[in-house]
Amino acid sequence: MSPQILSLLVVHALLACGLAAHVSAGDGDAEDRGRRIYENQCAECHGDRGRGNEDFYPDPLIGDDSPGQLAELIADTMPEGEPELCQGDDAEAVAAYIHEAFYSEAAQIRNRPPRLMLQRLTARQLRQSLSDLYATVDGIPVKPTQPGVNALYFDGDRWKKENQRIERIDPFIDFDFGHESPGDEISSEAFYVLWSGALKPERSGRYEIVVHSSLSMTMKFGDGDKVLIDNHVQSGDKTEFRRSLFLSAGRLYPFSIQFIQRKRKTELPSADIRLAWVPPGGVEHTIPTRNLVADSVPPAYTIQSDLPPDDRSYGYPRGISVDRAWDESTTSAALEFATVVYEDLWPRYQRRHRKDDGDDRTKLKRLLVEIVGRAFRHPLDDELKRQFVDRPFDQTPADIDAVKRVLLVALKSPRFLYPTIDSDRSPSRRAANRLALVLHDSIPTRTELIRTAGQDELESEDQIRHHAREMSQDPRTDAKFLEFLSGWLNLDHLHDLDKDQEKFADFDDAVAADSRRSFRWMLADFAADPETRFQDLLTRPRAYTSDRLAAYYGDAWETQRAQAGDRGVGNGQAEGTKKVVGLVDDQPDHLRISVPSPDRRGVLNHPFLTSSLAYHDATSPIHRGVFLIRYMLGRTLRPPNAAFAPFSPDLHPDLTTRQRVELQTGEQSCQVCHSKINPLGFTLENYDATGRHRDSESGRPIDSNGVYESRDGESVSLAGPMDLADYLATSDDSVRGFVNRLFQHFTKQPPAAYGRQTLDQLIRNFEASDYSIRELIVEIATIAAARPLGES
Amino acid sequence: MQEKITRSSRRFHNSRREFLKSLGIGTAAAHFALSLPSLGWAAAASPQKKRLVFVFSPNGVIPKHFWPENPGRDYDVKRILEPLSDFQSRMTTLHGVNNRIKGDGDGHMRGIGCLLTGIELFPGDVQGGSDTPAGWSMGISVDQEIKNQYQADAATRTRFGSLEFGVMVPERADTWTRMSYAGPNQPVAPIDNPYQMFDRLYGQTHNRKLLASVLDELTDDLKKVKRMVSAEDRRLLDEHLSMVRRVEKDMRIEQQTTQAAAENESADLGHAVPDLPPNVQEDNDNIPEIAKMQIELLVNSFRSDFARVATFQITNSVGNPKMRWLDIDESHHSLSHEPDSNEEAYEKLIRINTWYAEQVALMAKRLDETPEPGGEGSMLDHTTIVWTNELGKGNSHTRNNIPFVLVGDGLGFKTGEAMDFGGVNHNRLLMTFLQGMDCPRKTFGNPDFCDGGVLGDLLA
Repeated sequence: MSPQILSLLVVHALLACGLAAHVSAGDGDAEDRGRRIYENQCAECHGDRGRGNEDFYPDPLIGDDSPGQLAELIADTMPEGEPELCQGDDAEAVAAYIHEAFYSEAAQIRNRPPRLMLQRLTARQLRQSLSDLYATVDGIPVKPTQPGVNALYFDGDRWKKENQRIERIDPFIDFDFGHESPGDEISSEAFYVLWSGALKPERSGRYEIVVHSSLSMTMKFGDGDKVLIDNHVQSGDKTEFRRSLFLSAGRLYPFSIQFIQRKRKTELPSADIRLAWVPPGGVEHTIPTRNLVADSVPPAYTIQSDLPPDDRSYGYPRGISVDRAWDESTTSAALEFATVVYEDLWPRYQRRHRKDDGDDRTKLKRLLVEIVGRAFRHPLDDELKRQFVDRPFDQTPADIDAVKRVLLVALKSPRFLYPTIDSDRSPSRRAANRLALVLHDSIPTRTELIRTAGQDELESEDQIRHHAREMSQDPRTDAKFLEFLSGWLNLDHLHDLDKDQEKFADFDDAVAADSRRSFRWMLADFAADPETRFQDLLTRPRAYTSDRLAAYYGDAWETQRAQAGDRGVGNGQAEGTKKVVGLVDDQPDHLRISVPSPDRRGVLNHPFLTSSLAYHDATSPIHRGVFLIRYMLGRTLRPPNAAFAPFSPDLHPDLTTRQRVELQTGEQSCQVCHSKINPLGFTLENYDATGRHRDSESGRPIDSNGVYESRDGESVSLAGPMDLADYLATSDDSVRGFVNRLFQHFTKQPPAAYGRQTLDQLIRNFEASDYSIRELIVEIATIAAARPLGES
Repeated sequence: MQEKITRSSRRFHNSRREFLKSLGIGTAAAHFALSLPSLGWAAAASPQKKRLVFVFSPNGVIPKHFWPENPGRDYDVKRILEPLSDFQSRMTTLHGVNNRIKGDGDGHMRGIGCLLTGIELFPGDVQGGSDTPAGWSMGISVDQEIKNQYQADAATRTRFGSLEFGVMVPERADTWTRMSYAGPNQPVAPIDNPYQMFDRLYGQTHNRKLLASVLDELTDDLKKVKRMVSAEDRRLLDEHLSMVRRVEKDMRIEQQTTQAAAENESADLGHAVPDLPPNVQEDNDNIPEIAKMQIELLVNSFRSDFARVATFQITNSVGNPKMRWLDIDESHHSLSHEPDSNEEAYEKLIRINTWYAEQVALMAKRLDETPEPGGEGSMLDHTTIVWTNELGKGNSHTRNNIPFVLVGDGLGFKTGEAMDFGGVNHNRLLMTFLQGMDCPRKTFGNPDFCDGGVLGDLLA
């Protein structure tokens, strides 16, 4: 044996005996030391490899602190009650060990590589798919171009081409003609008005459509034949009509309203009409111009059946489980859809194909083959055609029952409900399928896409990217991005806006409602604009405002009298246009665009957000801090060990909110998290509980200095909300959090499931495109459609 | 047995009826025979049910061939009432009841709009052939009044309370197409599509049957698809599969229990859920078929105690069916405005009204053939059909002597008589109906028309 080998053997032997051998401190050795320290001092409470221990510390030891931050934390606080047992080098060693072995994100990915999880359609995806299935029969809508409603005014109480006097676009429907004529050469005693267009909801949910009409009025909705409200007969004081409907964002719902003044022997009633709605979680208001489209759109239908909520534990809906309630909802959705096919689509299909050969039953079967093929995202081969259409159809003599049977089997089949089970399809079809799922939450509908997939021209990443870009210019993508923004801002979990009336006498429900709507419109504008960049979200200088908001929040909330081409005039018409007879304009709840303000920072200091992150009578720096860390900066944060009621301001009248919070969270065990939370939350202290700017509190000046320690250990000082906003708009951490969240929202899978470098690569591309969100979405969809698929 | 194939009849079998006919058993005896098993229930403590159906036909009648001339129990059955002659002893005709409600609306509008409400119409903008324009009724109709009281009391509560049937009612909502009102300005629309009515009554049951019939295929499909996914992903599909299997099991148990319950109703020879002939279109020429289907649904609804009060509206006020199955090509309303001197029109109107009477007779017959569930006798013993009209006579638009023909014993009134009331306001008759259904009211509709109270002569 050579001398070198012999000495190595000796060294090994010495080490194996556990003797403290002076070998130079390399990483491997420190980790080894760290591991031993962990096993001796930490494992008892934290479990083997940080898995947790039911009796002591049940949560797994994972997070995103740097090794340095961990070392500091350990030195200060661990082992619990006896931190002096692990200090200095020891703390550093054990921190390095756990960071590398199981604590960090990288370690988690290494230990349990995320895989693509099989999921069923979520409620939203089911609704969108069925709406698109309906649309593929009569026509897919194109992107609309003209806001407002078409208006035709006739002299006389019925439609007669030669009596038409006015044709124009009305901005919204809120008219009071009194006893006057609505226009030149139109009798005030007998006239007929027809408004037609489409509703463009920005959020999905249950809406209440409200029509107030003093005259005969009929409203059609969904298609040219469906009457939603029939007040053909004007009678007494029956003037208000309400209908509840579930509407999906990203869709256009055609409607028309005819409004008739009829001459009669008795006294004529005054003529007024208003089309309003109550959006989900909102208050009643006239349907504004931004939600009305004057283009002619094809018929549309959305399933009205209730669908149970999906898992939201990751912050976005996922279809990861099945249960009875869900199963029953797929039955009622299938039956509802079957009824609509039979009653609405079939008669129109019959008319279009009346010259084709074959009897009615044959044609009905053809329609069903088309529909089931689209639902399965692939034309039916002979065997599937027999199994899903021919057999059930031929066994059922009654047409309506035959349609129900076929669609029950098809729409409850896993071939429809589990869109990613498609390993028997060509790569192009799979790519098309996933593009539609990711970008539209739906089935493939565009003719060009389907044709390309059928010709196997959707295989290379470039081909896929090209189509992804086309498909991203679609209201359904806008809708999905808007949903994402709601999740990114955690809007569903914010406090209500009920504030102490003594402290904030002028902040009433009306101001709160305007503030909420202003915020929502800002988000909707971001979603609809293909040029939106990440920075814009945190820097946009304008907001939607009303007189009420201006009165409460000050000069920065004055309206900008709209210039031509200024987007989003809200209810109002642009200045300088001819006054419309009878239009009820300039109502208190009409929102218009505000003046630009150098102090406005997009969503960040919009009063809706800051007031929602506050209590009834005081701000909540803790809620704001948690919001900033978790949602804006994408960091992990454990929930507190127990629930704590905030100190009441009345019990500490001499302290500012900042001081009170510092007092309450001062203990070492609290500071583990609060040392991160508080300094961020304090930077927004200039905005009180109603979101109004202030420089002092109870006579003391506001101290809004804060600090943030980034992922890579850099300490950033923030001197107030402007610093905060500027930092958030550009920092690596916030960009990373945003991209990660956006990816998961669109694909419902973790980025690492598509490859370990996915997230980093996306961030680099994002940067290179100057943070174009549309490009990021395109890139995400491309990855989801092109990368090798985990399941097969 | 060969069924006569006419334009109106299809494969619509009623084996029970044919069975009875073929045995040559008269209605009364058959009724007795069918009700034998239920005699054992005579001691049942539950109070006897009361049911009321208003059947509407439009455009008035031909009085000379409608109203009996001999009053009392030995009344003569004229041509129009001939189809109901089998029920003579349980039928009552009420001459001399007038609809005197004034106010807005023309004769037809007030004819139907005030018929069951006894109150004026709102001013509005629907202009009839004459008079002032009107809107809806200012008050509730008698069927809805009964429904409200019945639904508020657990002893008389039913699944729907009331049901509104229609036959060929135009797709418009206006004062001519509505006779039932839930309150002022609240017209209740009749359902004139039998499949839609079926869906409302049995939709859930029927849909569940459809679902049960496809569960096998669903399971097979799931198994096939499961093979296409990786081992880790099978978990979700396995859960899905076991869930479908559980649903299948539950449905089988459900079906077995309902079948057992149906078999226990030993007196009932029919099915719990009626079979409708498939794909009958809503066309003018299918009116007889549709009427039959709606009558079937009505009788079954009563049998399953879905409701205690109903309306059955054949077309609408100013109704215009063309009864081609009677070789009449003109529409009813246009014929009804011909003067009596037009003999051809006169004869056609008699035949049209006779056809309406046949529908009433069919309804009475079906009720009579069905044993009263949980009670004595047939369902007709516990139901009163009120056949009525908007006008006394078509060409004069008179609303005096509104046709009222009562068939059945639901209200416990005097039956088997031709009565004449000498010209009372019809509100009083509405109040009498209310009393008969145990919903006594001091007034109903416009109180000015209620002097004199209920019509005592009707009450037994």
